[in-house]
Amino acid sequence: MDFRERILTAMEHEEPDRVPVMGLIMDPATVDRILGRQPADLVGMLQNPDLAEGIVSTINTNEAWNSFYYGNTAGALESAMTLGFDANWTIYAQMKLHRDPQSALGYAYYDPFGRAWELSRAEDGSTAVNYSRALCPTEEQWEAWVQRNAALFDTMVDNTAAFHKRLVEEYGDRILPAGYAAPGIFENSWQPIGFVNFTRFIYEKPDFVRRVIRFHTDLYLRTMEAVMRSGVEVVLGGDDLGHKTGPMLRPELIEELLAESYRRVSELVHRSNRKLIWHSCGNVYKLLDMFIDWGFDGIITMEPTAGMELGKVRELVGHRLVLVGNLDVSHLLVKGTRQEIEDAVKQAIRDAGRGGGYILSACHSHPYVDGERLGWMVEAAHKHGKYPIDS
Amino acid sequence: MAGEALERLKNGLLDLDMQGAVAAAASIAGGGDSVAVKGAVDAVADALHTIGRRFQEGEWFLAELVYAGEIAKEVMSLLSPLMDAGDSGAAGTVVVGTVAGDLHDLGKNIFINYAKSAGFSVIDLGIDVPCDRFIAAVKEHRPLALGMSCLLTSTEAEIGRVIEALKEANLRDTVKVIIGGAALTAGFARQAGADAFAPDAVTGTDIIRQWSAV
Repeated sequence: MDFRERILTAMEHEEPDRVPVMGLIMDPATVDRILGRQPADLVGMLQNPDLAEGIVSTINTNEAWNSFYYGNTAGALESAMTLGFDANWTIYAQMKLHRDPQSALGYAYYDPFGRAWELSRAEDGSTAVNYSRALCPTEEQWEAWVQRNAALFDTMVDNTAAFHKRLVEEYGDRILPAGYAAPGIFENSWQPIGFVNFTRFIYEKPDFVRRVIRFHTDLYLRTMEAVMRSGVEVVLGGDDLGHKTGPMLRPELIEELLAESYRRVSELVHRSNRKLIWHSCGNVYKLLDMFIDWGFDGIITMEPTAGMELGKVRELVGHRLVLVGNLDVSHLLVKGTRQEIEDAVKQAIRDAGRGGGYILSACHSHPYVDGERLGWMVEAAHKHGKYPIDS
Repeated sequence: MAGEALERLKNGLLDLDMQGAVAAAASIAGGGDSVAVKGAVDAVADALHTIGRRFQEGEWFLAELVYAGEIAKEVMSLLSPLMDAGDSGAAGTVVVGTVAGDLHDLGKNIFINYAKSAGFSVIDLGIDVPCDRFIAAVKEHRPLALGMSCLLTSTEAEIGRVIEALKEANLRDTVKVIIGGAALTAGFARQAGADAFAPDAVTGTDIIRQWSAV
């Protein structure tokens, strides 16, 4: 079997030749270490007054941004192939650099949805980007933001389609790019407003909250359609609905506010004869039945640090969901020993591998995930993942 | 009359009724009776304790915990100016902050709301707090506890760094250290030399309440 058959067979809950392995590689720091490249010290350049304005004006053009961003993701696919992964997730993000006095650097990325992202520099010079704050904390600010950015949303959708199409054309014969429409509807609804304000609005301005969710559902469906236009065969969607100990909202409220949106996403993907794997961080045990009901074909992540256990999830959902995950990235794939990683891979395959419907992966990505350890994970999967799986 | 307002205040919190809770608090505050104000503050603490228990038992969810905290914050903004100086922060002082390199503050801010309502004086150092600011704040405020929040695996090493710096400054024995955040676990807390790990803000408040009672 080749990588494509392996993944697609697992997605049908059938046993491929061996457990497929999906990479979640996306951080430039991880990519640079795997490929032996020098990090592009973006933060260092922005700290240089002679370079900063030039960098900002260049990177903020659509063409330069797409070239820069495509380069990162192409590097991620090269890394994943180097390490022997069968697939890797591919995510398009549209950002612009802004002068931002609230950020330590003086510059921050702003995304089209209304979030600020802080750039920070690791010791090796690589750049990490993290959501830092909401840019539209009031109803009026949110309305003004989405009006002002209407054209940017159209550009983003076009860029998403072109980005995934190029990846599939350039890499699709060597690895399966699992196109991910991100960020999700709930995240795009609350993060530009802030969780505390959004929570207040749920109780105090429910009509506004519904309007925001409707807006982002329509935009998300356009984005998902753009991802699929590329020909990607396995589609990822996602929304962080969980936090460390449980769902962020009462499950009944999630059903009331978001179920219709998620059903529409599933229907769109299935109409295109594709499978939908859904990502959510956090502890989502209480949402598993809803995921099935909303039509998701699989789930990815199942964060161990949020108490998610692969074996327990398999026990709860059986083969109603394909499971993709969930090696720990807080310790194991950062500092774990080769033996620890091999043991974790064996355990994960024992917990979820029988009967197919399982794809091994890290539970998430961040800049400190170590390429060598990802390689050990793949090696262990090749060694212990041959079907039939021993008990 | 005050008893009825007290009941409306408590029910306002437990039913997530912002308007009802604020109206009840305003009526108590308007009475100018310091005993009634003290009773109202205790009622807020009781209600949040109940809400915290509901959250820990999986009956309530994060958004409800956050909104209850917001109601408590609005109510306390009416009651706090009328409290006797000795009542405010009587349970002890806690210094909190999100470690350097990390900008996340949701969990920290929920903890602050609940700790304040439980009678603690909270010194909030904010986000992206460098090690030396934690040390300076412990020196200055001599708190019962130092709380550090950390969402990112990439910044968790900061926690060990601060604990080491506390030792070097001969402050480690003077303050309990509690940590929380998505990236962290109880095992990490033990390794880093913290006294406690809180998986959520309510448990964190319970832990410092126990420390305060000793």
